[in-house]
Amino acid sequence: MATPAANAAPSVSPSLSLPPSQFARLQPHAYLLAHLSPPPASNQPSIRANGRAPSQFRVTSANAGSLTHTNGSAVVRIGDTTAVCGVRAEILHTDDIASWSVSSSSTSNSNKRRRLGEKTTDEDEGQDENEEDRAHIEDLNLLVPNLSLSTGCAPGFTPGAPPSALAQSLSHQILSLLHSTRLIRADDLRIWYQPPNLGSEALERHNESQQMEIDAGQGSEESDPQEIKAFWVLYIDVMIISLAGNPFDAAWAAVLAALRDTKLPKAWWDIDNETIICSDDISEASRLSLRGLPVASSFCVFEADAAAGWRAVVIPDVNDQKAQNQRKKGPQQKWILADPDGYEEGLSQERATLVVDKAKNGKNVILKMEKHGGWSVDTEDLRQLVEISGQRWDEMKRILDQC
Amino acid sequence: MAQKSTFGPREAPTLGSPSRALFGKMLKEAQLSVAERDFILEALRENVRLDGRGPDQFRSLNLSFGNEYGHVKLQVGKTSIVVRISAEVTKPRDDRPFDGLFNINLELSAMGSPAWENGRSNDLEAYVTHVLDSVIRRSNALDTESLCILKGVSCWSIRADVHVLDYDGNLTDAACIAIMTGLRHFRRPDAVVRDGQVIVYGVEERVPVALNITHNPLSVTFNAFNEGNNIIVDATRKEEQASEGELVIGINNGGDVCFLSKFSGAPLDAMEVVTKSNVALEKVKEINTKVDKIMQVDLARRAKLGMADESRAENDR
Amino acid sequence: MVEPTASLSTLNRADGSASYKCPATGYDVLGSVNAPIELPARRDALKPEDATIEVFVKPGNTTAGVGERYVEGILRSVLTEVVLGRERGYPRRGVVITLAIVGGGSVERGDSYLTVLPALLHTSLLALLSASVPLAMTFSSALLGVTKSGDIVRDPSAADAKAASSLHVLAFSSKGHLLLNESEGCFDFDTWELIRERAVSICRGAAVSGTGEDVAMGERSNDARLDGFVRETVEDRLHVDYAWKIESN
Repeated sequence: MATPAANAAPSVSPSLSLPPSQFARLQPHAYLLAHLSPPPASNQPSIRANGRAPSQFRVTSANAGSLTHTNGSAVVRIGDTTAVCGVRAEILHTDDIASWSVSSSSTSNSNKRRRLGEKTTDEDEGQDENEEDRAHIEDLNLLVPNLSLSTGCAPGFTPGAPPSALAQSLSHQILSLLHSTRLIRADDLRIWYQPPNLGSEALERHNESQQMEIDAGQGSEESDPQEIKAFWVLYIDVMIISLAGNPFDAAWAAVLAALRDTKLPKAWWDIDNETIICSDDISEASRLSLRGLPVASSFCVFEADAAAGWRAVVIPDVNDQKAQNQRKKGPQQKWILADPDGYEEGLSQERATLVVDKAKNGKNVILKMEKHGGWSVDTEDLRQLVEISGQRWDEMKRILDQC
Repeated sequence: MAQKSTFGPREAPTLGSPSRALFGKMLKEAQLSVAERDFILEALRENVRLDGRGPDQFRSLNLSFGNEYGHVKLQVGKTSIVVRISAEVTKPRDDRPFDGLFNINLELSAMGSPAWENGRSNDLEAYVTHVLDSVIRRSNALDTESLCILKGVSCWSIRADVHVLDYDGNLTDAACIAIMTGLRHFRRPDAVVRDGQVIVYGVEERVPVALNITHNPLSVTFNAFNEGNNIIVDATRKEEQASEGELVIGINNGGDVCFLSKFSGAPLDAMEVVTKSNVALEKVKEINTKVDKIMQVDLARRAKLGMADESRAENDR
Repeated sequence: MVEPTASLSTLNRADGSASYKCPATGYDVLGSVNAPIELPARRDALKPEDATIEVFVKPGNTTAGVGERYVEGILRSVLTEVVLGRERGYPRRGVVITLAIVGGGSVERGDSYLTVLPALLHTSLLALLSASVPLAMTFSSALLGVTKSGDIVRDPSAADAKAASSLHVLAFSSKGHLLLNESEGCFDFDTWELIRERAVSICRGAAVSGTGEDVAMGERSNDARLDGFVRETVEDRLHVDYAWKIESN
């Protein structure tokens, strides 16, 4: 705390005012508050210390395919927060899955060996397909995201330390969001064995590439069981190489961009060699067909009364508070700041994260909505946040489509 | 509790040499006062224990079961433990294709004692895990070969999770009793192999199967005091703190010793190991009889409930 | 709807403890609180004028993983608001909350942790009360699921939760503030408003719900309010603790 005096002492005429950067460090709360609620006389707009409007996100850029030795990769920068994501696909043989040859008697083992005729097309998914998707991806752990906060991404991250609680928690959030949004189709991850039919037509079909499955779906008279021989496991590694607040948005955007970039080589079971063979022909590799485009937007709540914690706590009733707010249209008490940077995160407790997608009719679909750490955000604020997240979705879609 | 009352002056910074800082950071159980220690030792010299027990007497054993099979709540005096047994199908280890897996998992949390820090292992945890592993797992109390379903492809993995809720001494013996009881109480789902396909039957469809327990080993921990003149079983936390050394004997009903450890502390007369083995055998028999009785009552109650459920289901039809 | 049951101060060593059983979801959670306690290992991380809240969740029959770290983060952020960490004796010390899920199914890797969250929240609140930690408010929490057909169900079982189109956990303070909202799945804002209304009526009774009168009526006739449940649990314990005094009067 002695720094201002010490710094001021050598100067010839001690100035009473501090340079903004020092003020920001010494009185961070007052500094941000002064920006957000300038005196009415000054005619200045309410603006955050970093120059953004409260609901403005930082400049975002995305670049896909940055890493060579991955199946898909992306770098996403949101302001000074940078996340790199690489997707690596590995083959998991069904023989190596302990639970594969196990079926519980209550559910029939139909999902193990399906008949071709039952194969539904992607457009028209039935309930069973959904359930099977879930079962395969979740129960067999086909998606393995891992997030690491790399050494030096922010002060306090030292080399050799075990994954911090934040990193673990973010890993879980990514995984649970991948599961709950059902972003990836299990069908993209399955590697099939198609037994050759004696008919020449079928043999020819067998040699054909992608066309096979679609054709087979129509030719339902064929009764040879098509068998799943292996799965692709996607290892989704995210590295935050620079952390300046809001790691989740950046990490999720990187995951999304990398998955959109991911190409899986064409693979099939070769009966003669009893092994999986991958084609090294790039033209045969196929992209994942993702379900929708869930975009994450995070917010924090900055409250004007920093000293609230010091006083005897009087927590107003919800109803009283509303009446109060209507009575005195006094100075604003709280600001919801979109895409907080590290400085702002340090000054707020309450957080909200939304993940939205847009339906075909342009309506917002909420995929995840969480808020905790305070009691000021309620229905009206959340409704606004959904709107803001909807706008952010448009912006992110544009950015991701370009990358 | 000492942690609560450390309002004293701050530690002088000069004390913080690196190694010291490392140990100084560990939370410790509240130390016994000199008077308390002397009292315990003096009383023992006259063959009196603080709670009035004889030297070879266990505290009262309170055993109950949860809703699921293999969910055991055990209280030995004020030491309180919950054990949960669970089973899942996994792939056996490559080098042992005929064996199933069995693991004992013990993690001490701040719930059991304020001296234990969450998410960090301490010496006691490592020590108790070692003893439990030797007495139960390595003595092959649970026949792992019986857990094999399909050679090299699938087997059962049995897991025992020990939760220490309250710690008042003799964690090892209490955990041992609780795990063995849990293993004997547990029923895994039935599984059969049909053309290379393993079918696991739900609990409603087929009567679940008991595990194959080969013998019932338990550990008995002895604590020595007054140059080995007083040796007691089932020490409380305070007695443990006043103790000069301990002897652990893992033994089953048939009198086969499967674990013997004079782990630390003052030396002990070799003959004591022999005489105490006899005491241990007696204790193990006593405890196992008691556990048997309580478990039979519980299993009978479950069978009755199951029957009632069945008849109700039939009535519904 | 079978109401949850709870008892306070069930353990000997911890400063405060509570056991909580929710028959609807099958979870049985034990909670202990040690506070205020020295946290010497993290002296540099301690806050100069506030207590540090630590939450540790111990699953029943698996090893703790990333899911536990995540739910610990949520609990910590809610409880930090609830605990008055600036009261005398608390600054620079820790409030260590340990929650062991001793009964009920396990949450697998990548599964939603929302089904256990209300039980964990209630257990930690009761354990904090048992340890006489100064609190700014109490709270109550509800788990709601929306089925594929659009019905709102309270406390869905693990299987129902997996099949649900969205899952919601809401917590309300004793004064009616929305302390926590965790929603996942696929839903729109109108659905969420219905969910919120239903959650308010479960947690706080019909008193504060304005429009959802018919829902609230149904709730009122069947169930006790959840915040009343917290109060009753504490009253029961007080009754036991002060039996000597009540008898002599």
